[in-house]
Parts: sequence; C-alpha cells; structure tokens
Amino acid sequence: MSPGTEFRLAPRLMTRERMRWYVDIQETVQQDTGRIVTQPPTIHDDDAYAKKQGLPGIISDGMVSTNWILGLLVDVFGPDAATRGRLRTKYIAPIYEDQAVIACAKLASVTNDAGNAVYDLEVWCEDDKGKKLTVGDARVYAAAR
Amino acid sequence: MATGRYVTDLDKGDVLGPIDYTMSKFVVREYCHANELHQDCFQNDVKFAPPTLVHLDKLRLYKVACPAGTGPTARVHYEYDATIHAPIPVDVPLRAKGTVTERYEKKGRQYVVMEIDLRTAAGAPLVTYRDTVILAYKQDGGAQ
Repeated sequence: MSPGTEFRLAPRLMTRERMRWYVDIQETVQQDTGRIVTQPPTIHDDDAYAKKQGLPGIISDGMVSTNWILGLLVDVFGPDAATRGRLRTKYIAPIYEDQAVIACAKLASVTNDAGNAVYDLEVWCEDDKGKKLTVGDARVYAAAR
Repeated sequence: MATGRYVTDLDKGDVLGPIDYTMSKFVVREYCHANELHQDCFQNDVKFAPPTLVHLDKLRLYKVACPAGTGPTARVHYEYDATIHAPIPVDVPLRAKGTVTERYEKKGRQYVVMEIDLRTAAGAPLVTYRDTVILAYKQDGGAQ
C-alpha cells in the first residue's frame, strides 16, 4: 500500500429510508431500551419541515456520510481504524433524496510509529458525477500492509 | 452562561454536563445497522463502539443543558472532527462533557463549535470530539 492508492465503496443511493434510519437511531441510542424510538419531524425525514427551514426538500444527516467513510476505512484497515486515530469530515454540499453517494479514501502518506504504520488519508464522498459532497481527512494506526 | 433553555442560545464558554452512561451492545449493533456498518466487530464480536457514536453524546448533552429543545430553527451539522485515543468499550461506565469553544457568524449564519470529552468514568480518555453546527440553514434567522 503506497501513497496515492485510492479506495472506494460501491455507489449507494441516499434514499428516504437511509435518512430515516439515522433519524430514528438517535433517540433509540439515547434511550437504550432495546426498542426503536422514533423522533418528531426533522429536516432529514419530513419534506414540509425541511421546506419551512429553507431547504428544497429533505437532506441527509452528515453523519451518514461520515459513517460510510468509517466503514470504508474498517474494510481497508480492519477494526484498528475504529480504535485509535482521527477522522474529520466537513459537509460541503447537501445530499438530497435518491442522490448517489460514493465513499472514497486516498492514501497520502505512511509513516512508522513504534513498529506500527501510521496511515494519513484524504477522505471524501462524491456523487456519481464526481462532485464532492463531504471532504476530510483521517489517520489510522494499524499493522503495516 | 446560556444553558438552561434552547440549543440556539449556546455561547462560548458554556459547559454542558458531565453526563454518565454505559454503552450497551444493543446500542452499538443498532447504530451500526442504521449506518450499514456490517463488519464483524460491529455486529457479532462487539467489544467497542464505532467512534462516530460520540456524535450522539452531543444530543445527550443538549437534552440536559438545553431542556427547551432546539429553538426556533433546525440545526445543520457542518463538521465532525474526532480524535480517538482508545477504543470506546461496551458495558463500561462512561462520562461525557461538552464545552462550547466558539460561536461566530459567517455569511449571515451562526456557527457553534463544541468540544466533547469522552472518557471512562475512571478517567481514561477515549475520544476528543470537535463538533461544528450551523444554527439555521436559512441566512439571517432561519424559519423565523
């Protein structure tokens, strides 16, 4: 694995269901009752509410993109990608219903830290035309590959 | 001090929490299922949480420090920035605390930056998370 190597997940459509899964998981996590807990209307699952807030329609919660990037890093580096390091993501464009989203990462550098490799990466999500929607960077500590 | 009412009231220097909770395997599996993180470490042999779950500590802290809710406008998440010091363990008491480090205006929109410190209740640091939100998508006042 050398600098410049690029990784990407298959395209996924940001469907209404995917947006709602993230909406409802938020209260479910906080209440931790063993059941799914739904939320009042949000800009991620209610068209009328989103329009009232100045949006053309519902948009995805940025954390969905961040989690898809995390999933890509775990696919590439294994569980180490989730146990030490850094992930930064900035949501530079709204993601609308049924827009295609592709999670991507590009290795910027590999250094050594006490026997472990330190991987620094550019990360992003883009649509099916290559337009960047989410940008950021990541650092992963893992065994050398 | 701008805690005690709406999230939109928050200002630099505000401290939210600390709050105590324990991360359950149910929470990890459900959160990962919702985000299509189907890797074995998140669905079967669950020993730690995905670090992205720290983002929901913000909502736990809002609930305690801003009991009246979001305020007149919907928030939009702008940036996630988490440094992971150690795995977030399941079934271990945890403590999260938030500090509002910045509030500023840019192009007519209000931004709030909160730093969340997540550690075990025994004090071992787990994640330092810097969260940036826009308080209203519409410029100059959102839905008002």
